[in-house]
Amino acid sequence: MRRVTPDTIAVVDLAVCDRCGLCLPLCPPEAIHLELNVLTVDAATCTGCEKCVAPCPVGALAMIPLVPSPHPESLVNA
Amino acid sequence: MPDVDVLVVGAGPAGAVAACQAKRAAPELDVVLLERDRAVGAPVRCAEGVGDAGLREFANPDGADWVSRKITDVIFEAPDDTQVVLAGSGVGWILDRTRFDAFLAAQAAAEGAAVLVGTEATAMARNGDGRWHVRVKQRGTEEIYRARMVIGADGVETMVGRWAGLETRVPARDMESCAQYVLQGIDFNPDAIYLQFSHAIAPGGYAWIFPKGVGVANVGLGLVALKTDGRNARQYLDAWIDRRFPTGARTGYTVGGVIVHTTIKKTYTDGVLVAGDAAHMINPLSGGGITNAMKAGRLAGCTAAAAIRGNDTSERRLSAYHNAWMDMLGEDHLKYYRIKQALEHMDDAFLNSLARTVNKIEPSKRTIGRVFTKALIKHPQLIPVAARFFV
Repeated sequence: MRRVTPDTIAVVDLAVCDRCGLCLPLCPPEAIHLELNVLTVDAATCTGCEKCVAPCPVGALAMIPLVPSPHPESLVNA
Repeated sequence: MPDVDVLVVGAGPAGAVAACQAKRAAPELDVVLLERDRAVGAPVRCAEGVGDAGLREFANPDGADWVSRKITDVIFEAPDDTQVVLAGSGVGWILDRTRFDAFLAAQAAAEGAAVLVGTEATAMARNGDGRWHVRVKQRGTEEIYRARMVIGADGVETMVGRWAGLETRVPARDMESCAQYVLQGIDFNPDAIYLQFSHAIAPGGYAWIFPKGVGVANVGLGLVALKTDGRNARQYLDAWIDRRFPTGARTGYTVGGVIVHTTIKKTYTDGVLVAGDAAHMINPLSGGGITNAMKAGRLAGCTAAAAIRGNDTSERRLSAYHNAWMDMLGEDHLKYYRIKQALEHMDDAFLNSLARTVNKIEPSKRTIGRVFTKALIKHPQLIPVAARFFV
């Protein structure tokens, strides 16, 4: 699978997140995890598709720019 | 390393019934029911409505302390607030899920299942010994459970299915984002549930009032985010309540997702069954899932017990569970899903006009058949919707 590093990735605001788990099955690369009452988005797995953002009933997910890496090698695997 | 026969993940209606039935079918088995939260049934992420017939297959609601309210009427509301009253259209119940789920878990415990709260499965893998090794965390400690059968009843997150390699992801168009308040001090008919359909109020879903008592109700809505104007479910709900019940006291609040899709293609694999919301076993028209979950849990528990007794937990054997579910309700859900897709093209002006058509039928003669016939004659655009029911 070709994976290009996205320009933006999803982040969760844990002060807003209700831990309902709605976003987990929406995530195509399964980058969102809910364990011990903490929701996390795995930045290395998130493809920036944004599918989790609008459906969040409380708006706890948002996209943020991914800071460009000073070592851009191996970002694209054919 | 605890060794168990059946490990049930999630103590909602699907899991509790699965654990109860597995133990009842095969009392010699070790059955463990895991609940991640500190209490079975809390937090409630549900509008708590359930039909009478389905509920009675599992429990008697008459006088039960886990019932909040008996319902006799259904009131549909058009976008312009035109009401279509279906009085005496059937009996239903609004449950108290904190008590109901605890009641079901207690039944599983009474059969001899071990119920563990505050106990979370965090990973699992199939081992060479033919058992599933499930990592379980409880109060800071971690143990590996060895299980011959794992039943995934872990709700919308459906992690057991994911760990087992089943396809449990949901397209965004089939996810309803829901928000709900418990509202106190509001004026409505406490014997009726209200369902309001409107793209402006709840695009792609509907808004509801489910009575918990006189003047108290679960008031919420579900919507499809792809169809909204950018606001989230809570913002849509606040707008609806501000208009409709501006003086109501918001004494409770919950949010969650309802998967309005159809049963996942495969609900089983070697040593694993998935049941309830986790397998998308929800009526995609109504969003109702409680009795679906209990029926699936009953099938899963019985199938798991028989498989262990027969010393064959292979996916070939467990496929009987999937087939039985599809025969019982899964095929119906496919039909309902097609109807839902057809209804998505009806706009608010059409819904208003449909409500007025139905209201021309005298309330006492308002049978489903008459409503259906009159609606089809007056609104030919419904014919493709009706046709989908039969294809």
